[in-house]
Amino acid sequence: MHPLLADVRKLTWYVLAWMLVAAGIAGLLRLAGDAGWAGALAFAMPICLVYAFVVLSSYYICRSLPVAQRRWTKVAAVFGGASLLSALGWLGLGTAWNALGRLGPRAAPLVDMTPAGWILFFSAGFVLYMLALLAHDVLVAFESMQVAVRREAESRVLAREAELQMLRTQINPHFLFNSLNSISALTSFDAGAAREMTVDLAQFFRRTLALADRERVTLEEETELCRHFLAIEQRRFGAKLRAELRIAPEAAACLLPPMTLQPLLENAIKHGIRGLDDGGTIAVDAAARDGWLRVAVVNPVAGEPVPARERGVGLANIRERLAALYGKRARIEWRRTATQFEIEITLPAEKESAP
Amino acid sequence: MNRPGNRRLRALIVDDEELARRLVREFLAPHEDIEIVGECENGLDAVKQIGELAPDLVFLDIQMPRLTGLEVLELTGRRSGVIFTTAYDEHAIKAFELHAVDYLLKPFSRARFDDALARARTLHVPVAPGVEALVARRGEPIERILIRDREQVHVIAVETVECIEAQGDYLAVLADGRTYLKPQRISEMEEQLDPKSFLRVHRSFIINLAFLQGIDRQGTERHFARLRSGKRVPISRSGYDRLRKMV
Repeated sequence: MHPLLADVRKLTWYVLAWMLVAAGIAGLLRLAGDAGWAGALAFAMPICLVYAFVVLSSYYICRSLPVAQRRWTKVAAVFGGASLLSALGWLGLGTAWNALGRLGPRAAPLVDMTPAGWILFFSAGFVLYMLALLAHDVLVAFESMQVAVRREAESRVLAREAELQMLRTQINPHFLFNSLNSISALTSFDAGAAREMTVDLAQFFRRTLALADRERVTLEEETELCRHFLAIEQRRFGAKLRAELRIAPEAAACLLPPMTLQPLLENAIKHGIRGLDDGGTIAVDAAARDGWLRVAVVNPVAGEPVPARERGVGLANIRERLAALYGKRARIEWRRTATQFEIEITLPAEKESAP
Repeated sequence: MNRPGNRRLRALIVDDEELARRLVREFLAPHEDIEIVGECENGLDAVKQIGELAPDLVFLDIQMPRLTGLEVLELTGRRSGVIFTTAYDEHAIKAFELHAVDYLLKPFSRARFDDALARARTLHVPVAPGVEALVARRGEPIERILIRDREQVHVIAVETVECIEAQGDYLAVLADGRTYLKPQRISEMEEQLDPKSFLRVHRSFIINLAFLQGIDRQGTERHFARLRSGKRVPISRSGYDRLRKMV
């Protein structure tokens, strides 16, 4: 709906303004000697009142022509055409209403309009409609600008939220509090180890924060983060947790979204190593070949079924992020056998362009 | 030393992290009336040791591999003298608060630890009735069924369960072509299972709808559910109505 129609106060002012226009027209008619005051007002007032609402239609015309994709010729044609049509309607209305005066007490037209007078009347209708179009155009442009500003602010908030969400899921509170508990235990009998673990924990979080707001990082940076993570987990789980990282030199320079490898290691520990009495070895292999970067993580698992709720979340998260960045060019596949879990990510092998 | 009413309390520490167990040991050291009788690094071991040692106090971590702390309680029937420890587990913490069960949040201070210990000592038998409700975990459907078979514990994923039959005080759980016996009432099991996949078709039978192959009719009134393994399960009249609504 037109914004004026929704606001009674504004609408009242608008109608009053039109009554002024009507008084002006009546005054002109009076000056031209075409009519007396009574006739002139009886002629102008109702017509202006009707036209006041006809003119509001220009709002929809302006809205139908988005500011961003306009051609001047088209705008001129639409505005001109619309004004012309309205002015014709206004002229028709004027002559009809005027003629109705014959049915009134004076049994004569309300005003004695000359042909020149009708031409002026028609032009006034044209100009009024054109003015309405221009005024509305400014209004619509302003509105759409406001919407655009708001939308941009919203999308920035959304992006920020997504980033925070990622941090919150990646910085697993269970991991953080258990690590602090291990440090608390170490302080009384191995202060040196407690200090090292504190530093690893700080390094891990510092790197996570640094990497998280970048779109992509090198595999080498991601691996460095994982080394701190593994150092912490090895203190927690002791000899049970072993890891072999085999990162081919040409793969180390390849780019991938941050926090892609780390959650895989976290899963491998949580769902694999922790459940085994004697622990096991997590094997990470990364290679770049034929334009593709392949990162594979393999870990042993115990026989017990894992609750589905815990299994899927992390992997679904990675899959979504990869899809958003690479579309169909990224692949993530996993397979669980009776004794081990294998997961492999394939991405286009891209490197940072030399500065 | 072993005077009645003043004997030493026997404690079991259950946590899969060596450092976490060590911390509990350290905090227990000044309490001379407490003797540590064992340590377990996973839930299965805890089930066994709780049964064998019957400790007065159990320090029980919630998030453990194999079996969670709550599953350990479910299997052992242990309800009193339990001090829960957890680093972070929204589900568990919500449940603790709901049932007014005391718990230690890692990392905890010595003062907090002593406090929990004092409370566990005075409450003795039975501890908060909340523990019972905590273990029953009403509301959220279970994802695995735990069955204790002498020394062994079977963990069965619910999606592999074909049907469950009440047999006296036991339930016969049919999964992967094997039958497991579990002491439980069928109505209780029915409440714990996801009603979208499991349906009580008879006073004594719950079936997994994923295994349903067809419904056989015998005479005018009697119906049987035909399951994937070929097993035929009787359907009561009300069970038949419920089944018709589901499939």
